[in-house]
Amino acid sequence: MTLTRLPARRPEATAPVVARRDRLDKLDLKVSPYLYVAPFFAVFALVGMFPLLYTAYVSLFDWRLGDDTAKFVGVGNYTELLADPQFWNALVNTISIFLLSSVPQVIVAIAVAVLLNTNLRLRTGFRMGVLVPYVASLVAVGIIFGNLFGVNYGLVNSVLDFVGIGKIDWQADRLASHLAIATMVDWRWTGYNALIVLAAMQAIPPELNEAALIDGAGPWRRFTSITLPMLRPTVIFVVITSTIGGLQIFTEPKLFSAMPGSDTGGSTNQFQTVTLYLYQSAFDNQQLGYASAIAWMLFLVIVLAAIGNYFITRRLSR
Amino acid sequence: MRQRLLATAIATAVVAGLVTACGAGDAADSKIHLTIATFGEFGYEDLLKQYQTEHPNIVVTQHKVGQAAPHHKELFTKLAAGSGLDDVEAIEEGYRAQVMAKADKFNDLSKIGPADAGPDRWLPWKYEGGKSKDGKLIGYGTDIGPLAMCYRTDLLQTAGLPSDPDGVKALFSSWQSYFDAGKTYVQKTGKPWFDTSTQIFNAMHNQHDVGYYDQNDNLVVATNPDIKKDWDAVTQAIADKESAKLVSFGNEWQAGFKTSAFATTVCPAWMLGSIEQNSGPDNKGKWAVSSAFPDGGGNWGGSYLTVPLQSKHPKEAAELAAWLTAPQQQIKAFVAKGPFPSQVQALQSPELLNTTNAYFADPKTGALYADLAKKLTKAQYKGPADGQIQDDVFAPALQAVEQGKSAADGWQQAVAGAQKAAK
Amino acid sequence: MTRRPGFLVYGLLIAFILGSVFPLYWSFLVPSHGNDILTDKVPPLLPGGNFLSNAQQVLDTIPFWHAMVNSVIVSGSVALSVVVFSTLAGFAFAKLRFKGSNVLFVLVVLTMAVPTQLGIIPLYMAMSEFGWAGHLQAVIVPNLVSAFGVFWMRQYLADAVPSELIEAARSDGCSMIRIFWHVAVPAARPAAAMLGLFTFMQSWNDFLWPLIALDQNNPTIQLALEQLQAGYYVNYALVLAGTTLATIPIFLLFVAVGRQLVAGIMQGAVKG
Repeated sequence: MTLTRLPARRPEATAPVVARRDRLDKLDLKVSPYLYVAPFFAVFALVGMFPLLYTAYVSLFDWRLGDDTAKFVGVGNYTELLADPQFWNALVNTISIFLLSSVPQVIVAIAVAVLLNTNLRLRTGFRMGVLVPYVASLVAVGIIFGNLFGVNYGLVNSVLDFVGIGKIDWQADRLASHLAIATMVDWRWTGYNALIVLAAMQAIPPELNEAALIDGAGPWRRFTSITLPMLRPTVIFVVITSTIGGLQIFTEPKLFSAMPGSDTGGSTNQFQTVTLYLYQSAFDNQQLGYASAIAWMLFLVIVLAAIGNYFITRRLSR
Repeated sequence: MRQRLLATAIATAVVAGLVTACGAGDAADSKIHLTIATFGEFGYEDLLKQYQTEHPNIVVTQHKVGQAAPHHKELFTKLAAGSGLDDVEAIEEGYRAQVMAKADKFNDLSKIGPADAGPDRWLPWKYEGGKSKDGKLIGYGTDIGPLAMCYRTDLLQTAGLPSDPDGVKALFSSWQSYFDAGKTYVQKTGKPWFDTSTQIFNAMHNQHDVGYYDQNDNLVVATNPDIKKDWDAVTQAIADKESAKLVSFGNEWQAGFKTSAFATTVCPAWMLGSIEQNSGPDNKGKWAVSSAFPDGGGNWGGSYLTVPLQSKHPKEAAELAAWLTAPQQQIKAFVAKGPFPSQVQALQSPELLNTTNAYFADPKTGALYADLAKKLTKAQYKGPADGQIQDDVFAPALQAVEQGKSAADGWQQAVAGAQKAAK
Repeated sequence: MTRRPGFLVYGLLIAFILGSVFPLYWSFLVPSHGNDILTDKVPPLLPGGNFLSNAQQVLDTIPFWHAMVNSVIVSGSVALSVVVFSTLAGFAFAKLRFKGSNVLFVLVVLTMAVPTQLGIIPLYMAMSEFGWAGHLQAVIVPNLVSAFGVFWMRQYLADAVPSELIEAARSDGCSMIRIFWHVAVPAARPAAAMLGLFTFMQSWNDFLWPLIALDQNNPTIQLALEQLQAGYYVNYALVLAGTTLATIPIFLLFVAVGRQLVAGIMQGAVKG
């Protein structure tokens, strides 16, 4: 493997070598960390940096897809964006879908992880079971949820109709569409996050729990004062990655639209998210400059939200 | 142990991947390698074999994508990136305006193509549709989608409406008579008349001389009286409960056929297959195709073959595209997979005229569509953002009205949306 | 060992898993019966007998095996590489002190916040500059590392590897790479197995970038499956038969990796 190429220390016995060995040791201590993180940054520089800079550059132009003579507009795309009601609409939709999906998702994921962390029979089976939705290909997800939430023939509406609540127009109603999309998101990602939390729970030394048990702490007490604090790095991880992923939400609203392939997010953009708007601007309207400005604005929003969430989570789980 | 096995398997796969990837280079021979990118079913598989037999110095590779949307996404991405396009690229009618806005990235086929691929090969409107604004010939027409009206004979009967071929002609003679018949149908049965307002509106729209743009690329959505008239007529029909509000090609639309949710639908030639599949064997013989279409004819869909400037063998690529779109070849493609030919001679061929479809009440569909295709005389001029205005502005606005928005608010949404898209 | 959990725990878990599995099970029911059940008010609960004929039609329509091999190569290489590099970098960020580590780590997390949808145009330009467009490395190389993976391994290893253990190993004269190999890697195993699994699945389901970057005649499985939707009529039974077939290798991977996830963390730490 690649690892063998990294500097390995050879055991040598003779006295004069000790000084060299010390020096090598120091070098090892100093350089190793950089070598370990280098692959990430190397590949990123190769394939990530260029697209990033390119997008930043393009965002300063009125650049149409395939256009050779783009006009420099400076921050024009950004000022236009700030005054664009469709952008703000998309941002509100994104945050609404994000909150509707993430909050229950993180709570349920932790709960499922707690359940899975017990001494179950068929443990592996249960753990793999919760991850099953993540296996589904997106084509299947689109078909499945298109049929579940179909307005006229969907299973959900059939059930609602049967129990007397009546049919809900999942496509037309803004909140209903957000709920349906949040359901799709949670279906796909809750089990996944549960396993992440579970892995962290297993890393908690059992002695801690045993000691608390001897001290007579109940299960809830043990959960709040041992498990949760020990989970802090992981909960921070889950919260930040779901913030980032949630604010970039794209696949689910795109698949949810009753118009196959449409990026409008419904008849009045009622469930168009920011990335969907970005995508529509870039590939349907072919306004790459504008789309790039959306991308950078979204980046800013995500960073702010992630920082905010980081501090909130740190405080809460302290 | 098992873990090691897995690791070995993965490592082997990685090595295999690198080898495969490196081994896939071009063969170093003197033959000319051409590539052609299509989507859906063009019916070219056997034709390409034939072409290579007849041209031993040419090797053709076909790249197929299932659906039009990803195909065009790939096309535009590679157009923007400046490389990676095939020598021949198919484009669909719905994306024609977007492609024409980038006409400078394509070869002028009237300059590099063979002489026999002249204007008289195609229906005049199809040939004109392949031209850019400045008169360059960007695409050779392949197939078209002449519009007919399909209707359920049994459902019309229950509503007391005429359902024989001659009887329905009166119902389908104009949009006015069509909507009036719909009103009667709704009153008698309580069920919707057509599947979706979007396709009705598009069909009406495409019959006008001037559409969303005038010839000088000025957006005229707000000022073109025809558009507002169509809008009013269609939204009135929605208010009269004539629309089943099913989005074309969605899963609910497919289900609507099976459950007999509506009595009529606009049906281009290529849609007969999907009507049959969607409605299922239980409804065999109940659907009929009328030779009358409200206020004349129409076209929905069809494609062109283009040769991007990126092609390294433009002349050979144009020759291939010209050969494929010749009447003899398009007839074979029609027989193989069903795309309806756009070539004048092909429309007179017995293979086409004698085509029947036993699923429908009156099975002589080939001759019927050939007649409808000839009824069209010219193509409406399409401006740069025409495609988005149709699909991302007017279609959602009509859907919004179907979902309960007022017609006036919907109109505002459409006009504002069109202005934004055209910016 | 603690005692077995009660009925309630099993009940809740089974309910959760039923909700997770049912939609996917339904996507197997459709090809096993046919498109007719799409309009049924209440879908049947038991599979019908048509799955094999639909599966056969999938195999006849698309280059299924070729695409499967490609996908295994692509997803396998990507998963392996992400696991190795993420564990290395995660270990460095979690347990080694070095100048600029905080800044570099924030950079890693920041790269996740960049929306990727626009990247495909410049990335394609880069790939065709390298001459990789159309070849498998065009979908492998851009995914060799993952910020998500680095972040995950860092957070995991922060707690899973006691710092005292590293100090002790260092004072014994262990080199960094030995510490990594004997302390971090065993401790990281469950997290690494999970990361590998996630990465594999994500890569397996990727569509848009392979569509642009690959040659359609040398497709990944998702690209090949798309061809089942050619034409104006979507045969859901056929499409879902294809998606069901395409998940089989992932289930096999589940079985293979599943035990790794269960393997406790303590054994590794003790062994080091």
